[in-house]
Amino acid sequence: MSDDEVLLRVRGLQVHYPGRGGLLRGGGPPVRAVDGVDLDVRRGETLGLVGESGCGKSTLGRAVLRLTEPTAGEVVFDGTDVRALPREPLRLLRRRMQMVFQDPMASLDPRQSVQSLLAEPLVAHGLGPRDSEGGTGAGGPRPSRRAVTGWREARVRELLELVGLPGSAAGRYPHEFSGGQRQRIGIARALAVEPDLVVADEPVSALDVSVQAQVVNLLEDLQERLGLTYVVIAHDLAVVRHISDAVAVMYLGTVVEQGRGDALYTAPLHPYTIALMSAIPVPDPVVEDARQRVLLSGDLPSPAAPPSGCRFHTRCPFRQATRCHDEVPLLREIPLRPGLAGSGLAGAGATGAGSASGHAVACHWAEEVASGQLSPRQVEATAAS
Amino acid sequence: MSAVAPAGAAGPAGPATPSAEPPLLSVQDLSVTFTARRGSGRSEVRAVDGVSFDVRPGRVMALVGESGSGKSVTSLALTGLLPARGNRVEGRALFAGEDLLTVPRARLADLRGRELAMVFQDPMSSLNPVVPVGLQITEVVRRHTGAGRAAAKERAVELLGRVGIPDPRRRVREFPHQLSGGMRQRVMIAIALACDPRLVIADEPTTALDVTIQAQVIDLLSTLVREQGTAMLLITHDLGVVAGVCDDVTVMYAGRVVEQAPRRELFARPRHRYTAGLLASVPRLDGPRPERLTPIPGTPRDVVAWSEACAFAPRCTAGDDACRRGDLVLAPDAGAGAAPGHLVRCVHPAPVEQP
Repeated sequence: MSDDEVLLRVRGLQVHYPGRGGLLRGGGPPVRAVDGVDLDVRRGETLGLVGESGCGKSTLGRAVLRLTEPTAGEVVFDGTDVRALPREPLRLLRRRMQMVFQDPMASLDPRQSVQSLLAEPLVAHGLGPRDSEGGTGAGGPRPSRRAVTGWREARVRELLELVGLPGSAAGRYPHEFSGGQRQRIGIARALAVEPDLVVADEPVSALDVSVQAQVVNLLEDLQERLGLTYVVIAHDLAVVRHISDAVAVMYLGTVVEQGRGDALYTAPLHPYTIALMSAIPVPDPVVEDARQRVLLSGDLPSPAAPPSGCRFHTRCPFRQATRCHDEVPLLREIPLRPGLAGSGLAGAGATGAGSASGHAVACHWAEEVASGQLSPRQVEATAAS
Repeated sequence: MSAVAPAGAAGPAGPATPSAEPPLLSVQDLSVTFTARRGSGRSEVRAVDGVSFDVRPGRVMALVGESGSGKSVTSLALTGLLPARGNRVEGRALFAGEDLLTVPRARLADLRGRELAMVFQDPMSSLNPVVPVGLQITEVVRRHTGAGRAAAKERAVELLGRVGIPDPRRRVREFPHQLSGGMRQRVMIAIALACDPRLVIADEPTTALDVTIQAQVIDLLSTLVREQGTAMLLITHDLGVVAGVCDDVTVMYAGRVVEQAPRRELFARPRHRYTAGLLASVPRLDGPRPERLTPIPGTPRDVVAWSEACAFAPRCTAGDDACRRGDLVLAPDAGAGAAPGHLVRCVHPAPVEQP
């Protein structure tokens, strides 16, 4: 895959937080929140990052923008090594990579009007009438203050219109809006500086069900109109399926499976993905009654002391003696199966160059699980009485 | 209080025969009005408006709605947990013949925990952070059954084991912060089950949990209902959970019931435009991926008073002048092939899709 296509390339990314050992702090093993992740996000596409709480998906999203400093690894944004940048160039680069947060009530200052909230990023990046197309406003005669103010007001109205809010919203405050409208403001704020990449961390999960679809549609429309590239972090696989071109499933700081299009959904390969998908209730009683759940035992292990070998082996219903415990499974490409041909996977490559299917999994026994040679063990932990 | 509580009073734990059994909880015309002083005048907000439903032994009734629909206020009113001032509760809630809304406080305190139990959304704010979880269970057991300390402790260990907590003998000594979210919610459920209640009211019990843990907890709750014949009122916004475990569904919007039906009926032929819109708007994991989602326009805040029109009319694609009347009633569905017990409050019910 050419570098032209890939806007964001992540290699071997690690984010470790210092460990805490008891009362005196310090000294404990580090918490491996993100522990060696490779990702490629293509220009104009959406990568969905899914996993349960504590899997490191939000930390990964923040590490890409260096809002959280990575411990090791490489983040290349449009050919620029983000990790190598000093402070000021990084600040300038961030104009092109923006973030949308989960809870707009928490991320929007309640005492700032919408006008002020949306103008703030313009001010911070020194955007004015001359250089709305980019740049830092350096060079040439400075426009008058009045011209700048007028331009910013017009730009705020334009942004509001872009996200489907009336221009009159500019004079109001966050609490005057509903959750869905507030999220629209959060999106407008991210788009104010005309970014190329938007990292959206749980953009709809705080919203009412009837409103989620509106925001999902808005994100899709904006992508089409503005040619945006998205990384959407969410725990809701159904939302991610709808919005993404490629999906990566995370477990305990690592990517356990990734795929393009619907491949991962039609034929999940990793036991964790299988369990995750089987756990998601579908709003259809007929489907629900017929469903066989693959229940997982126990809870997520501590990322400060991840299990040896395959990190999922402590909860895996397909676990096989010794190998899962001893050997770390690498993310490997699974050849395209005949049944999946023609489902838009041609030429896909999520992990590396020259990949055939783009569907990669980190499991020693993926083929055996997929073919039904291995069947899941019954899980005892939930048996009542 | 000395005698051991009649835990088995609910009868044998055989499979419940649907609908034939009389309701254990019958909520009739429940209304909750919040009053507030505004300057010199008073303002009133009717959060729950004439809600009625029955919960039967061995069955799960779902109460579905989004923020502001009044579903949680309903559960708080039933359990007497609304603030003592600033609200007015009307109607009846007959629990095995006793009206929960009028019984003396002491009697209600006695019923709560023993006969009817609650599970809330966030176990971290419902558990006491400085008391070991075992003690929080034995507290309930001793309060309601008069059991001795040793017997109560054994009971706590047994309950933790039953809700699927590994190594319960060690866990009883631990504090809530030492447990994961899923485990804490299990502790809440263990406390709820401590006295074999006849009715469990679960308010968004899995919303704060991850899906794989949610599946475990849902599994646990439905086993309880099936095997022990417990009646359950499950309050949720998740239609997937409803489809999986509930027997009957009550859909609320802006304080009123807009539709009520047995589970399969509701999903197969939703009649209220809100229910239909909700089902159409959620992306699904199964089936083909649609090009675009079909959202419900507007926000849950765009409501009109029920006294003037259908509260959903401002967001409804089928809304017109006929919806502008204050006397819309919850009536049996008049459409062809309607199941008995399917009630809907709509002037222009959604068309029934032919299978």
